[in-house]
Amino acid sequence: MLDFYRVQELFTEEERAVQQAARRFLEAEALPQIRTWWEAGTFPTHLIPKFGAMGFLGANLPAEYGAAGVSSAAYGLIMYELERIDSGLRSFASVQGALVMYPIFAYGSEEQKREFLPRLAAGELVGAFGLTEPDGGSDPGGNMKTRAHRDGDHWVLNGTKMWITNGSIADLAIVWAKDEAGVVRGFIVPTDTPGFSAPEIKSKMSLRASVTSELVLEEVRVPDALRLPGAEGLKAPLSCLTQARYGIAWGVLGALEAVYTEARDFALSRRTFGEPLAKKQLVQAKLAGMLADHTKGLLLVWRLARLKDAGKLHHTQVSLAKRDNTYAALKAARLARDLLGANGITLEYHAIRHMLNLETVYTYEGTHDVHTLILGREITGLAAF
Amino acid sequence: MKFVAIIRQVPDGEAKLREEGGRIDLSGATMILDQMDEYAVEEILQLKEKHGGEAVIVAFGPERTKEAIRTALAMGADRAVFVKHEGDADPITEAKALAKVLAEEAPTVVFTGGQQADWDSYALGPAVAEALGWPSVAWTTAFELEDETQATAQHDLDEGAQRVRVRLPAVLTTQQGLNEPRYPTLPGIMKAKKKEIKEIPAEELGVTGTKVEILSQAIVKIERKQKILDGTKEPEKAAEELVRLLHEEAKVI
Ligand SMILES: Cc1cc2nc3c(=O)[nH]c(=O)nc-3n(C[C@H](O)[C@H](O)[C@H](O)COP(=O)(O)OP(=O)(O)OC[C@H]3O[C@@H](n4cnc5c(N)ncnc54)[C@H](O)[C@@H]3O)c2cc1C
Ligand SMILES: Cc1cc2nc3c(=O)[nH]c(=O)nc-3n(C[C@H](O)[C@H](O)[C@H](O)COP(=O)(O)OP(=O)(O)OC[C@H]3O[C@@H](n4cnc5c(N)ncnc54)[C@H](O)[C@@H]3O)c2cc1C
Repeated sequence: MLDFYRVQELFTEEERAVQQAARRFLEAEALPQIRTWWEAGTFPTHLIPKFGAMGFLGANLPAEYGAAGVSSAAYGLIMYELERIDSGLRSFASVQGALVMYPIFAYGSEEQKREFLPRLAAGELVGAFGLTEPDGGSDPGGNMKTRAHRDGDHWVLNGTKMWITNGSIADLAIVWAKDEAGVVRGFIVPTDTPGFSAPEIKSKMSLRASVTSELVLEEVRVPDALRLPGAEGLKAPLSCLTQARYGIAWGVLGALEAVYTEARDFALSRRTFGEPLAKKQLVQAKLAGMLADHTKGLLLVWRLARLKDAGKLHHTQVSLAKRDNTYAALKAARLARDLLGANGITLEYHAIRHMLNLETVYTYEGTHDVHTLILGREITGLAAF
Repeated sequence: MKFVAIIRQVPDGEAKLREEGGRIDLSGATMILDQMDEYAVEEILQLKEKHGGEAVIVAFGPERTKEAIRTALAMGADRAVFVKHEGDADPITEAKALAKVLAEEAPTVVFTGGQQADWDSYALGPAVAEALGWPSVAWTTAFELEDETQATAQHDLDEGAQRVRVRLPAVLTTQQGLNEPRYPTLPGIMKAKKKEIKEIPAEELGVTGTKVEILSQAIVKIERKQKILDGTKEPEKAAEELVRLLHEEAKVI
């Protein structure tokens, strides 16, 4: 992997082995076809059981629930390698691991954990996470219109969720809804429950190798046994987002490596004005900026990983890394696209695909500006949302 | 039954190598399990799955070789014996040390890479067989165990193939096509941590130095000549010059 400061020496031997194994698998199984999947607007569902067998799904969760039980850095390196191929692949794994398996692990009953986690880890079941609604994602508490009311030993759910990754291919959705007292609660909703539908959102120009859907819930009845008993209030879904954002902070650096490497190789082989493009100062300045951002970003996430394993991680630290690494990757992808000239506008090269994908990553899991405001509140104690 | 794969760690084919003071500096390079040895590991795993018994890794090299050993263990091998040696060692010296380990392990059959990526040598497998007085079959693309005393194998030639029957124990070397090596998985990597790697210093096996000393190493540099002939003024002369260059310098026509 691209590693200017030899950060790999700070990883354990096992973490390095995970990175190598993931890269090898993905270069063989995903890289050659990613462009085709992206252009066709399809997610490669045949890879889901393979991701499961490799141990990519919810990899940081304990082995007793069928997960790989790796460290936070190893988990991050998997996200890095997935997103080095495409943000859509990483999004699948982020949702499955951080937004579906994690809430079941953190807030589920023992029976729920035993029933769902091993099958989600193996890729036999696919999950989705429904928090965002049509009225807006940045203020999920204020905009949440989805309601759950109790009916005997069942709950009845009504509402609409928007922009939900994996929605149309999911076997179960973690749906967040307010109860009659206005308290946010989480439900494991099997997607074959009557009244549940998940139409796919088409014509996306970003994250095309990922399924994004609307979730429509009309009088959907779920037994109380499928409510996440430990989840009460908005902090439960927000804690899941912290997990996913942690993975994104790693993942986007994989995309950054991909576009940087491509731009560097192009600049070295292309000749303009009688010499290699790479010999031009402006070109070198662009490449130097990309490498600097990658190097700083990798040190950030390495440190985050160690804080996370030590139980000292604060969500605002994750906000900073999600915000800065994502923006760095997006800027690098735009520069790589630029350096490739006209070639950069085609899918023959990876830059424009990453560039378009990263527009989504910039927006989801807390937009860039929302993370700025989270940091602003941390710095000043004043909420400016 | 016991199946052994001899493995080595080599630089990744795509690794960026640096030349320093006439030697290749591997400190920053990505090192991997030799891909030809990977076929050997896969083959012994399949043999174990089919016939039962033990799949054992035997490795030779410096401390960092352990990473390659862990990869093989993550693929599913049971344990490893690691002959540790810092510095250069030629294939014959390596083979003699490895033979002592194998004599003690007394395996049913041994596999190793048909070629060593770093030396570009084919010697290790046959040299191990020679040191033990065992038969050897090179470049195998198929292998079938008949019983504990004999097996059949396919050996590829440049323009054909041979099927052979070989007495066991024997040393076979691999060739692409023998099998499709599995990926090491994350659960496999986690399990590998707990598997035994028995370390033996090479000196204890009689290695005192190398019989072939490397004096210097260099990386081939490929540079384009970027020769452009101006054909705008005298196109006929330029064409003649082009033909001459292709004939005399490039020697392609
Ligand atoms: C491809 C894709 C997949 C997704 N997957 C999921 C999923 O699986 N599950 C899920 O629940 N959600 C998902 N989302 C939704 C995502 O989390 C939201 O898009 C995101 O939270 C932003 O919400 P919004 O799109 O409604 O924009 P809005 O919240 O309406 O924001 C619009 C703009 O206003 C800015 N803004 C908002 N508030 C403020 C403020 N107070 N001050 C200044 N500026 C502000 C924002 O930064 C943004 O620029 C996905 C989105 C995409 C694009
Ligand atoms: C959709 C599309 C339609 C087009 N239509 C036409 C058309 O109808 N007719 C036509 O003739 N052309 C057309 N073009 C070609 C277009 O004009 C070229 O793509 C453009 O001139 C850039 O050339 P290039 O793509 O070869 O990139 P390059 O010239 O190889 O440049 C690559 C990168 O290097 C940078 N660069 C180049 N030289 C230097 C330097 N000296 N110092 C620092 N940086 C440098 C560039 O800014 C760029 O970032 C079209 C292109 C596109 C994408």
